Amino acid sequence: MTAEGGVQYSKIAEIKGPLVIVDDVENAAFDELVEVETKDGERRLGKVLEVGNGKAIVQVFEGTTGLSIAATNAKFVGKVMEMPVSREVLGRVFDGLGRPKDGLPDPIADKFIDINGEPMNPEQREYPKDFIQTGVSVIDGMITLVRGQKLPIFSGSGMSHNLLAAQIARQASVIGTQDDFAVVFAAIGVQYSEAEYFRRSLEESGALKRSVLFLNTADDPAIERIITPRVALTVAEYLAFELGMHVLVILTDMTNYAEALREISAAREEVPGRKGYPGYLYTDLSTIYERAGKLNGKKGSVTQVPILSMPSDDITHPIPDLTGYITEGQIVLGRDLFRQGVYPPVNILMSLSRLMKDGIGEGSTRADHGEISNQVYDAYSRAQEVRALAGIVGKAGLTEIDLKYMDVGDVFENEFLSQATDENRTIEETLGILWKIVSKLPKNEITKIKDKYVEQYYKEE
Amino acid sequence: MPNSQTLKSITDLRDSLANSALETTISKILEQTEKSVISNVESALNESLKTLDDSVPKLEQEYDKILADGKKEADKIEKQIIGSADIEARNKQLMALEDAVDKVFSKALEQIANADRSGDYSNLIKTMIEEATQILGTSEITVSTNAKDKDVVQSTLSQFSGAELSSDTIDCLGGVIVKSKDGAMTFDNTIDARIERLKPLIRKEIASKFGVGE
Repeated sequence: MTAEGGVQYSKIAEIKGPLVIVDDVENAAFDELVEVETKDGERRLGKVLEVGNGKAIVQVFEGTTGLSIAATNAKFVGKVMEMPVSREVLGRVFDGLGRPKDGLPDPIADKFIDINGEPMNPEQREYPKDFIQTGVSVIDGMITLVRGQKLPIFSGSGMSHNLLAAQIARQASVIGTQDDFAVVFAAIGVQYSEAEYFRRSLEESGALKRSVLFLNTADDPAIERIITPRVALTVAEYLAFELGMHVLVILTDMTNYAEALREISAAREEVPGRKGYPGYLYTDLSTIYERAGKLNGKKGSVTQVPILSMPSDDITHPIPDLTGYITEGQIVLGRDLFRQGVYPPVNILMSLSRLMKDGIGEGSTRADHGEISNQVYDAYSRAQEVRALAGIVGKAGLTEIDLKYMDVGDVFENEFLSQATDENRTIEETLGILWKIVSKLPKNEITKIKDKYVEQYYKEE
Repeated sequence: MPNSQTLKSITDLRDSLANSALETTISKILEQTEKSVISNVESALNESLKTLDDSVPKLEQEYDKILADGKKEADKIEKQIIGSADIEARNKQLMALEDAVDKVFSKALEQIANADRSGDYSNLIKTMIEEATQILGTSEITVSTNAKDKDVVQSTLSQFSGAELSSDTIDCLGGVIVKSKDGAMTFDNTIDARIERLKPLIRKEIASKFGVGE
């Protein structure tokens, strides 16, 4: 940071959607921060998207409503957008651009960091393999999250993903280590009531003191949403790699982010890709998701749980589709389970944590974890087949073993999957329920678990 | 033909035999009932003892679960209370610190506003105008300043060909606003703007004097 400010230009050529095109600009830089001043003296932030031929295209984060060509000035600040960071950000609530929203002053900064982050050197990356306990049985037991992983939640409109996000934020912890744990929660384009719910939920549970909240509500300008995940990740990287904390970043809802990106792309008259999203959606999403990980020689980690609502529950929609290419698995919420009143309505048959195998087992969770999880996955899959069959031939047409599998399906949904929003289950409790499910089956049906574990944990009813 | 006495003794004998058979039957029934009652009582006793025995581990389990749930709940409430108290205390500390920083700021601004304009001050103004012309890339400029600095700026401008002093004064602590003559570009090099740009660093510096953020 220097005392030298930037030049203010007053020749605005055009205002188009969220973009302001400034004329006669010299020495502007790509991504440079711009202060746009309205005729009433109001200042809005923006950044340079393109420069050349004496023009600069500025994307105004807070929207261009009320701006006029004649009375608008654009001041090129001479630096990129930075987020002031320090340990003091913990327990604070910010808006989507990183400005305090809790009535408290700006945090005293230890550093000012470019919100675009520095790409992680692939060679320096450390393979993620440490368990994070979320206290949510279905995640801990069957789609285990590990430190440094990026594991998105694919949801649909109206489903309980925000409840789940808040529950994970409240309950998540690292076990078997004294290292500090923090949660960075970025709400992108959420309703005011949801933003309040997140804030209250963390405040009342006492989890706020280890959390940082970034709240961009639905009535905030859409363009701000481009910045929200980036400021959140900047803080997360600082906490993880400078202060050595294990940081869980929850980004909800990434669909709103992608829509903001589409809005800018349309205003720039770029050639649209699938469903009008820009062709670089994949690349852009990767600049966010790839900011998760662990680094050799650094104590902390950044784990990401981005949440996105799939338009029309369509998993082939460009946003979940491209997200799935970048992330390491996915947690899919099912509409049927949601309609049945199951919370969290996780469809485990469509869900997967690619790094789970490395984060569970002896020394992490429990030696039988992987096998019991596989067995339950298999049994639930069979239960679904049996249910479909029962729909055709009726229950009377089922064999005794089929009925047992149906029973497994019911216990799985009612006792394992279903969980109160304030119920924090330990991994031992979760594994206990998994064994209870498997114990509904005769021993000869248990084919994926070693005999010694069956002897130890199987309890015939 | 039997006489009446014989008949009576036969009747007596028959009655006695009937009574004895009845008594035997009654006692037999009583005995059987007693046995069945005793057996029922015994089996009920055994059953209840078994149920009691069986329920002990279940009760113990239930007891442990209630205790564990209670402990969990207590831990949760403890966390909530400590968390809220920590946040509240931290917020009060932040507000107190901010008050102190603001006071230092106001004092510093007051000193700057009342600073002597003689001596090195004209050099400062010269540097500020040079910086502005360099950044704007033109020497055809209009310079604005406050009433207090007008004389110093006026005398300094003689060193800049193409520069002229605006007749309008601005409200600031000191320094200049430099505008290109075509009005397209402006560079704010007032002391206020410079302080504003460096405010986060100055705040950090002041806070460190109070032992924060070191």
